[in-house]
Amino acid sequence: MLRIDTPPPHGGRLEERVVRDPELGKKLAKSCAATYDIKPTLSDGVPIRNVYREIMSICYGFFSPVEGSMKKAEVERILKERRLLNNWIFPYPLVFDITEEELKDLGVTVGDRLLLRLKGKPFAMIDIEEIWRIDNAEKLATKTFGTPEDNPEVVQEAFNAKMPGWVIYKSLNPVVLAGKYTIINEPTFLKPFDRFWLPPVKSREEYARRGWKTVINHQTRNVPHIGHEFLMKDAGFTGDIEPCHGIQVNAIIGVKRAGDYPDEAIIEGHEAVNLGGYIKPERHIVTFTLWDMRYGNPLESMLHGIIRQNMGCTHHMFGRDHAAVGEYYEMFATQTLWSVGIPSFGFPASVNDVPYGLLIRPQNMREFWYCPVCNEIAYSECCGHTKEKQKFSGSFVRGMVAEGIFPPKVIFRPEVYKVIVKWWKEFNYPFCNAKYVKEKELRLEVDLPDMDI
Amino acid sequence: MAKYMSVLLDDKRMEAIKGSGLEEKIDKMFGGALNAFTLELSDAKAKEVMDAFFTARVDSRAFITDVPIAFCRTLFEEIAKAKSLGDDVIDAVLARVDEIKEAADKESEFLPVPEF
Ligand SMILES: [Zn+2]
Repeated sequence: MLRIDTPPPHGGRLEERVVRDPELGKKLAKSCAATYDIKPTLSDGVPIRNVYREIMSICYGFFSPVEGSMKKAEVERILKERRLLNNWIFPYPLVFDITEEELKDLGVTVGDRLLLRLKGKPFAMIDIEEIWRIDNAEKLATKTFGTPEDNPEVVQEAFNAKMPGWVIYKSLNPVVLAGKYTIINEPTFLKPFDRFWLPPVKSREEYARRGWKTVINHQTRNVPHIGHEFLMKDAGFTGDIEPCHGIQVNAIIGVKRAGDYPDEAIIEGHEAVNLGGYIKPERHIVTFTLWDMRYGNPLESMLHGIIRQNMGCTHHMFGRDHAAVGEYYEMFATQTLWSVGIPSFGFPASVNDVPYGLLIRPQNMREFWYCPVCNEIAYSECCGHTKEKQKFSGSFVRGMVAEGIFPPKVIFRPEVYKVIVKWWKEFNYPFCNAKYVKEKELRLEVDLPDMDI
Repeated sequence: MAKYMSVLLDDKRMEAIKGSGLEEKIDKMFGGALNAFTLELSDAKAKEVMDAFFTARVDSRAFITDVPIAFCRTLFEEIAKAKSLGDDVIDAVLARVDEIKEAADKESEFLPVPEF
């Protein structure tokens, strides 16, 4: 009775909307009424989102049970109570948005199939079930993330142009083509992403192959310092009658902001933790999900729970300021959602304790610091040496990296630091600069095979 | 009130100050895993630094932070040269302010890769 088993996917079954037979893919492409080249969403000319990442995450089942671009009624229900039309909980509207001019040029209507090209090649299609309009994108953006008046439990400040998620929704085009997506020409991942691609069907197979029943997930958009490593190790002791069998790192890979670490360094940096034997590879796995971070703290944590439950994880680590930027949300808003719920977002109880909710279990953690008295990386709720403690301040660590100081082992493992330097050489910069951000959105994470239609 | 600046020391930097007599002024951080100098700046010198670099700020421990990376690199070079942690070092760094600012302008796009 005490054993915990792999949870079913959110919504009951994994969506996999990928055609792997090229002949069938070609046939489907030929059945399309028009062709559309996927473009990034821009803000002041800067790419801030690419819908291709949503199509990938939907079609490979990360966002199950979502199957495509949402209808108007579904978006309205999400904004009201964070539920899909089939009742399963879901945090964000996901839409395929185009301009009025593009709609006119395409000449498509309900019932048509639209071929979507990426990097000039056939990629996916959408079966148009509804065409609707976003009347006011700024209002949609604000409703997506909340306001201090409507969501006083967790929202402290009104969202504005410094909040990337809010800017994404505010920048959407007015016409939404709603309907199911299907990938008809399977992309191949660029290096180094190719060896970390493990969509839900595959991750479940991999856990089973390794004999893992209990798996705890670590969310990341960072190169791991020792504080992260000890969070993973210590949270890994959660489990059922024994610690979790597996510790999974699932990196969110998507549009970058200047100052972030490059995605390549993040994912290989986590791999270096297991290659260095700090968490041995038999117990540790590094994977990623394509998604342009919205920084919606509690809402983002719900999406993280959905993604990792779909992947087969039983547990999920949540810390302070989870997927947060600025101080829009209260710093423990995510833990509030996963412990007592946030009624104004539609959750009078934890997302685990509502109908059509989640089965993945939260592990709400405080923080880790270095304590010279304990002589260890200490957990804030254990270590009583508040005067002597030395925190892993983000700006301190980044300053040390930028100055080219070889960090001591209590900050970065040398194997991890060498990954930072490897990509620093590649991009002439240890963090994402304007050039990296721009080139990344042209390169994306995939290439597509040729498909003659 | 005095202000402070921290200068981190890795193995390469420790090598560069060997025999300078500065070794005894090293502060240990992270249980001795990280070495650093702590410079104490007079109010006048602190003001000169703050005035020269608009990003600079003073944190809750009275440490000056957020100066250009080039400033930190130059600061260590001058310490190693003068074998001192006094205001004279800050003067030597400020004498190179144009060079630092030129490097700082490129810092958002380029940072030299460390060689080990
Ligand atoms: Zn302690």
